Amino acid sequence: MGQKVELACIIDDDKIYVNLVKKIIEIKKLSNNLLIFKNGKEALDHFKLILENASEEILPDIIFLDINMPIMDGWEFLNEFIKIKNIFDKKITLYVVSSSIDPRDLERAKSFNLVTDYLIKPIELKKFEKIFDRNGHAAA
Amino acid sequence: MLNDLQLNSILEDFDIAYWKINLLSKEVTWSEHFNTLVGNPEFSESHFEFFLKEILHQDYRYDFRVYFDKLTEENEAFSIELKLKLSNGKYRWFECRNLKNKENNKETAVLLFVNIHQSKRDQYTIEENFFYYRETAQMTNTGGWYIDTVNKNIYWDNVTKKIIDCPLDYQPPYEEHYKFYAPEEHPTVTSAFEKCEKYGIPFKVELKMQNLYHKDFWVRATGKPVYNEEQDIIGIRGVFQDINEQKNNELNLQNSLDIIATQNSRLFNFAHIVSHNLRSHSSNLCLIVELLKEAKTDADKIELIPNVADISENLDSAINQLNEIVNRQSLLRKERRIVSFKKALSGVMASTSSLINRENAKIVAEFHKLKEISYIPEYLESILLNLITNAIKYKHPGRKPVIFIQTYIKNETSFLEVSDNGLGIDLDQYGDKMFGMYKTFHENLDSRGIGLFITKNQVETLGGSISVTSTVDVGTTFKIKF
Repeated sequence: MGQKVELACIIDDDKIYVNLVKKIIEIKKLSNNLLIFKNGKEALDHFKLILENASEEILPDIIFLDINMPIMDGWEFLNEFIKIKNIFDKKITLYVVSSSIDPRDLERAKSFNLVTDYLIKPIELKKFEKIFDRNGHAAA
Repeated sequence: MLNDLQLNSILEDFDIAYWKINLLSKEVTWSEHFNTLVGNPEFSESHFEFFLKEILHQDYRYDFRVYFDKLTEENEAFSIELKLKLSNGKYRWFECRNLKNKENNKETAVLLFVNIHQSKRDQYTIEENFFYYRETAQMTNTGGWYIDTVNKNIYWDNVTKKIIDCPLDYQPPYEEHYKFYAPEEHPTVTSAFEKCEKYGIPFKVELKMQNLYHKDFWVRATGKPVYNEEQDIIGIRGVFQDINEQKNNELNLQNSLDIIATQNSRLFNFAHIVSHNLRSHSSNLCLIVELLKEAKTDADKIELIPNVADISENLDSAINQLNEIVNRQSLLRKERRIVSFKKALSGVMASTSSLINRENAKIVAEFHKLKEISYIPEYLESILLNLITNAIKYKHPGRKPVIFIQTYIKNETSFLEVSDNGLGIDLDQYGDKMFGMYKTFHENLDSRGIGLFITKNQVETLGGSISVTSTVDVGTTFKIKF
């Protein structure tokens, strides 16, 4: 087991899913802190605020982004996030996580450089551990 | 004067044979040429009887006998066209008439037989060709036209006049003949006519024309230059074929194809959405099972149970939603009827009265320009229901919802507009997703994202289209073209 992740971020409107992932992270002690947004806009607003205020608030090491969400979906978030990502002085690993098995979604996710991988729900516990582990090493 | 021999030779040259009839004895003698024509037959009966029996086509026997009797008894002149069997055994057309008896000779009469076979055949060919031409022109709705570019005149035949829907005595105006083409066709028409008139280039085009009453219709037009003896172009002539029906069928077919293609792609999306929607719940179930396996204490396990309840509830409502969509789609088998907008609206208002009252919504309807429409009643109600509840759902928090509904006819097409004073929506951002499934743009708990998806489907299924205009904080207008 590598170094623990400091801050993980989940952007997803499925409350049950978020709840369950939260539990997994708690039980497996995968991350010290967890940031949760229920759509792309909330997340984007948060990151923009950090930028504007040059806030001391820490940025997540890892983001799990859902695709289908109200107000601002995963794709729209990615299009906006690209614009501000490089300003951050931190490597952020981003996973697109969706229950969609549509190959077109997979293609589209891979077309973004900042997307590390496309994960199809449900993500097994072991996979979660691996992701966080790898991420921990990478951050180290 | 010519003697008999000279006369005979002239007549022979002109292929004219004759009979001499003794009016007293009624005895007939044939000219030599006549004898040759029918093959110098040998017979025992009289010339007349032999002629009737063996030479004259049976169709003319009765008439000929009557005329012959009248001539011999009353000296009455006659002329008849008949068919004679010649030496080669074939029938040929002859004109038979008696020579005017100038000398008042009551003893003999002369009957001429003039070979008219060639002209008769030409006449038949012309009549036959004309028949085929006329039938073809009528059956294919093809009319002829001629533009005399020198004298600046236009000629239309009757079929063209029928196609243009103008009276038969109508004289097409040379200067204004462009008014018979739809404005968008003017560049094409001008270029085709000019090229033909200047350079003699023929054309064949499909055009949208306008009849005398400005009604659009489609024709296929061909035009070719007409030259005079000096090889100067003096006009253009061609045909118009009325292909309105075919063209409209073609356009309808294309339209249907487009609708089917979009519906197909929507179905494809629908399938993915269904799988996605059901998968999101099933994947949550999988996660729970994993967590249950990991849970060390009973308390940890019990803590997960409410999640299972939530998932099953969500799964159930997702399936119900999908079922609702499928049910609405199956209304397709219903038939169109004349539906009154007023009635449809009052039905919808009755079923949504609690929502309308709770939100204190005001609905203003103006249907006097278009009172009714041939539509599937359930669709019209469903469309109104979705647009009205949509307007109320996304009302502006600062004011009570007002919904304005109107119908009208523009360019022979029926329209329905539903406008509200609600939140409005940024179309630049969301426009292309407005009618997608499960697309919700406002954080509203009862947003399900299927209403407009269904509405679009219903409108398009019946061959119409729906569009939207909106201004944030001002309101939204949905326009349905039936």
